[in-house]
Amino acid sequence: MRVRINNLSFAYGQKVVLSDINFSLNSGETLAIVGRNGTGKTTLVKCILKLLKVPPKTIFLDDIDINEIRKFHNIAYVPQRPEFNYEFPITVKEILSASYPSRKHDFYYKSTINSLQINKFYNENINNLSGGQLQRVFITRALLAKPKLIIFDEPTVGMDVESMNELNLILNKLKSQNITMIIVTHDHNFGLRYADYILKLDDNFTYTLETNTPNNILEIKEDKQ
Amino acid sequence: MIAFISSFLDISFFEALTKYPELFLNALIAGIIIGIVAPLIGSIIIVRRLSLIADTLSHFSLAGVYFGVLLSNMFDFKISPIFMAVVFSILCTIIMEFLSGFFKNYKELSMPIVMSFGTALSGIFIALSKSSTALNGYLFGSIFTVSTTDLMIILSLTALIFIFIAIFYRKIITLCFDETQAKISGIKTKVLQYFITIVLAIFISLFIKIVGVLLISSLMIIPVSASMLIGRSYKQTCIISIIISELAILLGIYLSYTFSLPTGSLIVLLSIAFMIVIMIIRYIVRGKKRKPEDINNE
Repeated sequence: MRVRINNLSFAYGQKVVLSDINFSLNSGETLAIVGRNGTGKTTLVKCILKLLKVPPKTIFLDDIDINEIRKFHNIAYVPQRPEFNYEFPITVKEILSASYPSRKHDFYYKSTINSLQINKFYNENINNLSGGQLQRVFITRALLAKPKLIIFDEPTVGMDVESMNELNLILNKLKSQNITMIIVTHDHNFGLRYADYILKLDDNFTYTLETNTPNNILEIKEDKQ
Repeated sequence: MIAFISSFLDISFFEALTKYPELFLNALIAGIIIGIVAPLIGSIIIVRRLSLIADTLSHFSLAGVYFGVLLSNMFDFKISPIFMAVVFSILCTIIMEFLSGFFKNYKELSMPIVMSFGTALSGIFIALSKSSTALNGYLFGSIFTVSTTDLMIILSLTALIFIFIAIFYRKIITLCFDETQAKISGIKTKVLQYFITIVLAIFISLFIKIVGVLLISSLMIIPVSASMLIGRSYKQTCIISIIISELAILLGIYLSYTFSLPTGSLIVLLSIAFMIVIMIIRYIVRGKKRKPEDINNE
């Protein structure tokens, strides 16, 4: 899925958070959004996901203005852990079944579950899962939407080494499947590992968009001050 | 009512049940239905953290009950108080939604405001209708006053509630557990939430007569709260809460007849008793499980 952001600015009331952001991603490319707390990383993601209202002709998905899209198809979001309601008992199976567009558990459903090795804790209450297992559940839920664009919000937060290795394997696999990815992360090195572009949001609403090369990071588009 | 029946019959509950089934049939059917529906709806409102809404709706629907009584007294036709309770509780959801638009950062404010509004209206309607004969019945409930017409209304609207839950089950689960995901996946969260509140409003109005305004929210909240402590899945939690609810209701009816005590109060007290038992069992089981870990940690 192609993503194009065109002069996007956003403010919460009088407080400006994003100012004049521009970038575009082609299908299969990965963008890492990095920056300190409060620089607008999550706001940018919420704008792309239409969770916040943006002006017309500022965000395009496959060249369609998101304001004209009534229902998202093939777009998935992997949230940070706190966004889910964990206190009421619910199993992995119940979460995944409720999210899957079809009532029947067809081949795609089963193969996605198998490929992410969810079977081991498929009938477990999510309260009993480790951070890494939970992350896998949310990634599986995202993949069940048959996404062409996946947005990860801080996927490495609270992960141990083993879970990080699992996440690396999953992201490599997704990259090989030509899925466009946007990864919001504090971990600059993690972003560099997968991203084709790095969008660095700074204080005072400035940003830097860099392309990621195997040898170094070469600034290509613009460096706004 | 129950005191009257038991003193009048002066025989045990089971003898009365076999000799005069017509006296108990409506009460038992209504009780069994509420025992299934209340925890189902309760589980949704607990996950959505809307437990206070139930109380607000029940207080406002009481105003509807008395408005129905007032209309019946003023004009020469009989209006079902349950029907007016349904109308008022739906009105209540609209007012709450309207108010929450004004207090965006204090959305819960709309609930106490509407609750007070409903209670105040009830007082006015009671005074105007000059009739407070059934006040206790609606405040604390009386399952034995359920008429066949009431039962028909309860059965048909319960069927509609079931159909609603069956059709929107997956969307409700997604909305309840992860609102962001629900929005991204194209669920119209506001509309669905609105429908959930209306279903809740209908349910509360229907069962006011059985458990009473003051106790109806407890029947939705307590069995689910108890089952949350031991349930491992959403489905299992709902099933356990239905079992607790049914036990409390049937035992409550039995004890109510035997000791001539208010049915609603007994049902709620029994639910709380079951919850306490579950809490104790959970404490003992978890305590035993934790011991080796604690020793290792030391």
